[in-house]
Amino acid sequence: MNKLLAIIKREYLAKVRTKFFVIMTILGPLMLFVFTLVPGLLMSMKTGDDTRIAVLDQTEGAQLSEPIRRSLLKLDRDQLSTKQPGIAESVNSNTKERVEKAGKSFSGSFHVEQVDLNGRSVEQIKPELNSRIGRNELDGYLIIPPDILTNSESKASYYGRNVGDVFTREQIEDRLDSAVRRQRLIKQGVKDQDVDALSKSVDLATYPISEKGEEGHEDSGVAGFAMVFIIAFLIYITILLYGQVVLGAIIEEKETRIAEILFSSARPFQIMIGKLIGVSLMGLTQLVIWAVAFSALAIYVVPSMAAQGKNINLPHLPPFFFVYFFLFFVLGYFMYATIYALVGSMVTTSQEGGQMAMPVVFMLMAGLYLAFPIIRAPNSSFSFWVSMVPFFAPITMMVRIVSQTPPFWQIALSLTIGFATVLLLLWLASKIYRIGMLMYGKKATIPEVVRWIRQT
Amino acid sequence: MNNDSATVVLDHITKRFGEFTAVNDLSLAVRAGRIYGLLGPNGAGKTTTIRMIVNITAPDSGSVTVFGKQITAELQDRIGYLPEERGLYKKMKVGEQIRFFAELKSVPGKEAAKRADRWLERLKLTDWKGKKATELSKGMQQKVQFIATIIHEPDLLILDEPFSGLDPVNVELLKEIILELKAAGKTIIFSTHQMEVAEKICDDICLINRSRKILEGSIREVKRGFSRNAVALRLVGGENVLEDRNLISQIKRNSDGIEVLLAEGATAQSLLKELMAAAATIERFEMIEPSLHDIFIEKVTESA
Repeated sequence: MNKLLAIIKREYLAKVRTKFFVIMTILGPLMLFVFTLVPGLLMSMKTGDDTRIAVLDQTEGAQLSEPIRRSLLKLDRDQLSTKQPGIAESVNSNTKERVEKAGKSFSGSFHVEQVDLNGRSVEQIKPELNSRIGRNELDGYLIIPPDILTNSESKASYYGRNVGDVFTREQIEDRLDSAVRRQRLIKQGVKDQDVDALSKSVDLATYPISEKGEEGHEDSGVAGFAMVFIIAFLIYITILLYGQVVLGAIIEEKETRIAEILFSSARPFQIMIGKLIGVSLMGLTQLVIWAVAFSALAIYVVPSMAAQGKNINLPHLPPFFFVYFFLFFVLGYFMYATIYALVGSMVTTSQEGGQMAMPVVFMLMAGLYLAFPIIRAPNSSFSFWVSMVPFFAPITMMVRIVSQTPPFWQIALSLTIGFATVLLLLWLASKIYRIGMLMYGKKATIPEVVRWIRQT
Repeated sequence: MNNDSATVVLDHITKRFGEFTAVNDLSLAVRAGRIYGLLGPNGAGKTTTIRMIVNITAPDSGSVTVFGKQITAELQDRIGYLPEERGLYKKMKVGEQIRFFAELKSVPGKEAAKRADRWLERLKLTDWKGKKATELSKGMQQKVQFIATIIHEPDLLILDEPFSGLDPVNVELLKEIILELKAAGKTIIFSTHQMEVAEKICDDICLINRSRKILEGSIREVKRGFSRNAVALRLVGGENVLEDRNLISQIKRNSDGIEVLLAEGATAQSLLKELMAAAATIERFEMIEPSLHDIFIEKVTESA
């Protein structure tokens, strides 16, 4: 027992003192933010100059040119309330000024020129425009068919350099759409000032109902959705990182041949489990630091921000959530760390270890991807079965708990299956670990490992 | 040999890895308070044998008895093992490493720290106590490993090539400590393929080749059994005597003179008489024992 404690203590102190630990503790929350939110922001961000668009209006008297231009340039302030793609809207919905700023940085902006037909046909003008695009004087042009205001089947066309930029394409479509619809309504005799009121989109306010039938506060669900995803990602990334730490620690003992001295002093199983526990304590230390920082944020920063009129909606987490988080983190950690320990004992170098651990990473990743269908239907039978698979449960069951807590028996069953799997893995590990650790010079093959299990 | 006073008794142990037999029906007894040399070429099965003595692996058949009992994990605390393939935690400080290895052998932390200071001082490593293992030279690391092996004051010490990679000064220092430990009544198993070292330090030896024991006994006994009537000579003249195949069967010339092997039926006396009769100037005439090195080579080649 004292030997086990000595092993745990050594491992814990060795790992907590590493730069990796310090850096991860500080950068972890930042990384979590970066990995969950920034890809979305980046995708909707347009870098570079304004998109230069020529508009070729074939309608009678080129009557759409000006409205389209205004719409594309967002001069038409009333257009602001119509649908905009992406996060730009949710991030900045307060003032028009901010929207305009944000519109510039997040959605990019346009430079619009009108092309006069002057009696020429579209086919005559196109070559000239195409060569201008070729000379990089123009990014694209819009062709508005003559019957667009009267024929609802009529299609506008866009010719451009970078049609792969779906965001810009979507913006053009969107703004063109609102300009044309507006003109169609006006043409039907709707008064200009009524158009906005009539075409305003309908907002849907959502209210959650708890299991006890209580009505909650209005909740857009966005914060909840983000929370679910952050939890899923947090479990994924911590298990992955701490698993790698275990892998590295095991390979170090094998590479430096310390294993031989250790095995002459304590039971191999003691050594392995001591290592797993030591690293798990490091992980828990890190999680506790994050939890404390998060609580401090909730207790001190949020009220003071609120006092300044800035409301930040931190999702409310009930205490039982933390208990479940702890249980499923421990479950996931020991499941994957044991596999990593096995892999570490079978290989000779970290590179080999990385390769052999790939399937393990894929399994974890599968759990993360499964989180998406589960968020949409947390209590479907699909969600149920997926959260009973031990290798997915740490992520999938947590996602269910956060989004729509399933009946207790399901959680208990998932935990039971999970911990039974951990015991099975530990049993397997105890058979392979010692032999693997003492085998130098070559990687163990699967048939060899199967033989070891049979022999011992 | 009296097995009651033996610290380690191996009784017909065999260990196989798949098709390969690493140790084949090996029996030996290591007497208490002596230095026992486990000798053999690379791959002979020395390390596998040692691993079975320290309970890292178990034999497929046969029994391992240490301190009169079947080997168990509990007995490991009374054994100190310095493997040939040894290492330290790269990023851990020297003092902490020694303390950790002591704790693994059930020495309480405070006591371990005290002993570590004493040994670091003795091995001139005190200044390196707070340094990480990676900052140490290979020789220094080896001394730290040696301390980690003896820190729990084991009754049985197993050293696998303890001097490889050490400079002569440190070899002498370690030898001195090993002899002190022997004087204190500890039993030491010393595994090596360097015969010169074994010859100087061991009381008993066991020669293993190709998973089998081919020779065992005290150094005296072994050498007596190998007496080959060799004579070391340094002469001026008398060359024709050396050509006499009735007297000498083999001549080996080295920088310091010549070494001859007497032919069957010839004695040293008859050789001396003939040399004097030939009026050779004899600067050196010495009956020599075969070195352990020669025995090793002869025995290993013979059994191959």
